[in-house]
Amino acid sequence: MRTVTVLARTVRAEWARLWTVRSTWVLVVALTLFVAGLGALAGYDAAGGEDAGYGGLSAWEGVRFVMLFLLFGLVALSCVAAASDYGTGGIVPTLQWTPRRGVLLAGRALVVAGVSVLLAVLLLTVAAALVAVQATGLGMSLCAGSSILGDAALVVGCGSLLGIGLGFLTRSTAGSLVSAIALLVVLPLVLGNLPYESLRTVAEYLPGTNAIYVVFGEGIGEDMTIASARSTLFAWAVGGMAAGGLRLLRTDATR
Amino acid sequence: MIQVRGLTKDFGRVRAVDGLTFDVEPGTVTGFLGPNGAGKSTTMRMLLGLDRPTAGTATVGGRRYVELPAPMREVGALLDAAAMHPGRSGRTHLRIAARSNGIPMTRVDEVVERVGLGAAARRRIKGYSLGMRQRLGIATALLGDPPVLVFDEPVNGLDLEGVRWIRTLFRDCADEGRTVFVSSHLMSEVQLVADRVVIIGRGRLVADARVDEVLARGRHRVRVRSPRADELAAVIGGLADVVVSGVGELEVVGLNEAEVGDTAHRAGVPLHHLATVEESLEAAYWSLTQDEVEFRGSASDRAGEAS
Repeated sequence: MRTVTVLARTVRAEWARLWTVRSTWVLVVALTLFVAGLGALAGYDAAGGEDAGYGGLSAWEGVRFVMLFLLFGLVALSCVAAASDYGTGGIVPTLQWTPRRGVLLAGRALVVAGVSVLLAVLLLTVAAALVAVQATGLGMSLCAGSSILGDAALVVGCGSLLGIGLGFLTRSTAGSLVSAIALLVVLPLVLGNLPYESLRTVAEYLPGTNAIYVVFGEGIGEDMTIASARSTLFAWAVGGMAAGGLRLLRTDATR
Repeated sequence: MIQVRGLTKDFGRVRAVDGLTFDVEPGTVTGFLGPNGAGKSTTMRMLLGLDRPTAGTATVGGRRYVELPAPMREVGALLDAAAMHPGRSGRTHLRIAARSNGIPMTRVDEVVERVGLGAAARRRIKGYSLGMRQRLGIATALLGDPPVLVFDEPVNGLDLEGVRWIRTLFRDCADEGRTVFVSSHLMSEVQLVADRVVIIGRGRLVADARVDEVLARGRHRVRVRSPRADELAAVIGGLADVVVSGVGELEVVGLNEAEVGDTAHRAGVPLHHLATVEESLEAAYWSLTQDEVEFRGSASDRAGEAS
C-alpha cells in the first residue's frame, strides 16, 4: 500500500480526532468571539476615534494587531492537539492504528496547521469586515488583504507547526503551552529589554520577536528585515517539528 | 502467526525482557503468563511497535508491526483499556480507529453489538466502568476482523458474566483459525481457556508448552484416606514422600494412584479414598520457577531449531 494512501487515512482520522473533543470547540468559539470583539472595537476607532481612517489605508490595516492574538490562540490549539494524546494515554491506540510515526506526524501537522491557517485567514477577514462596516470610508482592498492574510498564514502556520513540535517534544499539554508562551511572549519581552547586548541578540532570534516584526514591521534588532523575520519563523517551525519528530520517531511511545 | 526471536529490552540498567524466543500459532489460545513486572506488557508493546527492542525481533506474519500498512486488519490489540480520550464517545473512538485503517463504518455497529456495548457506545467514555472500557477496547481490537488478536490482562474489571463472555470469545476466535495471544497474571483464568502457555519470569522464558504438558511437569500428588493411615504412611514412606494432610488422610508425592493402591493392598491396609489431586497451572508455575529451568514443549523446540 502506498504511503500516500496511509497518509490520506491518517489525515481523515486526525480531522475527526481534532473536531471530536470539546477543547477544540471551546478554543475556536472563544477565539471567534474575541476576534469579533477586537474587530468591532477597531471599527469603532476607525469610524470616529483619534486615528480615524488609518490615514486613508484599508480596513485590513486596522486589524493587523489581531494577528498576534490569533497566533497565541492557535498555537495553544496546536499544542493541545499534539500533546493531549499523551495526557489521556490515547497515544497508545493512536500508534497502534498508525504505527508509521512519520506518517502520524505529517498527518497531524497537515490537519492542525491547516485548520489553524484557515481559521486565521477566516477570522482576520471577519475582523476586517467589521472594521469596514463601521468605517464606511475604508475599503477592503484585495491587494492589502492578500498581503496581510499572507502574513497571517505564515505567522500562524509557523507558530502552529512549532506548537505541534513542542507538543510531541514535551509530551505534555502544560509543558508545551508553557514552552510556547516562553518562546513567543516571555523571553522576547524579558531578554529584549535587558541591558545586555548578547541577550538582546538572543531575543532577536526568538519566534515571538520575529512574529511581531512580520506583523508590525518593528523589532529590537537593527539588522532585522521582513525577509529575515520570515526565514527565522520558518526555521523555528522546521526546528520545532524536527525536535518533536525525533522524539516521536526515536523513543518509546510513552516513556 | 507471531514470532519472537531473541527479544530484549533494557530500561537503563534494568533488563526488563531478556532474550525471549517463542512462537504463537494460529488456531490456538496462547496464554502469556508471569507475575507483575515479569515483562509481559513490555513484550507486547514491542510486538506492537510501541517500544523499541534493545535487541531481537517480534513479527506478525513475518513482518514487523510498524511495516503493516493497515495494521488493524492484521492485528487487533487491547493493551490498556484506560488509554482512551475520556471526552469522546465509544462510537467516536471506534469511528476514528476505522478511518485510520480504511475500515467501513458498518463494522463499528457490528463490533458494538458483538461486545454488548449497545446504547452505551453513544455515551462519553469518562462515564464508562472499567469493564465497559474493556469491552470497548475489545471492540476496537475486533474492528478490522484481524487474524491475530493480542490482549493484555483483558479480564481486569470484567464482572463474572463478562469473564465468561470473554472466555467464549477467545475460544471462538481460535476455533475460527485466529491467533489469540492473551497475557494475564491470573493463572487460573488462563488455565480455563488457553491451549498453550508462554511463561516468563524476570523477563526470561520459563516455559513454552501446551497447558497439559506444563501441568504434567508439576509435582503430582495422590490423596489417600485410611482408618490405618499411620500404618500406611510407614509402608509408603520407604517408597515416596508422604505428608499427613488431615485426620486419617495422607498426600503422597512420587507414586501414582495405582502404585499407592497396590502398595496398600499388599500391606493389607483398607482404603476409603484414593485420588490424584488435580494440578493447577499456578502450582505448576511455582514448581517451574522454583526449579529455575527453561522448559520447552514440542512446538517451541521447533521454533528454537528454526532460529
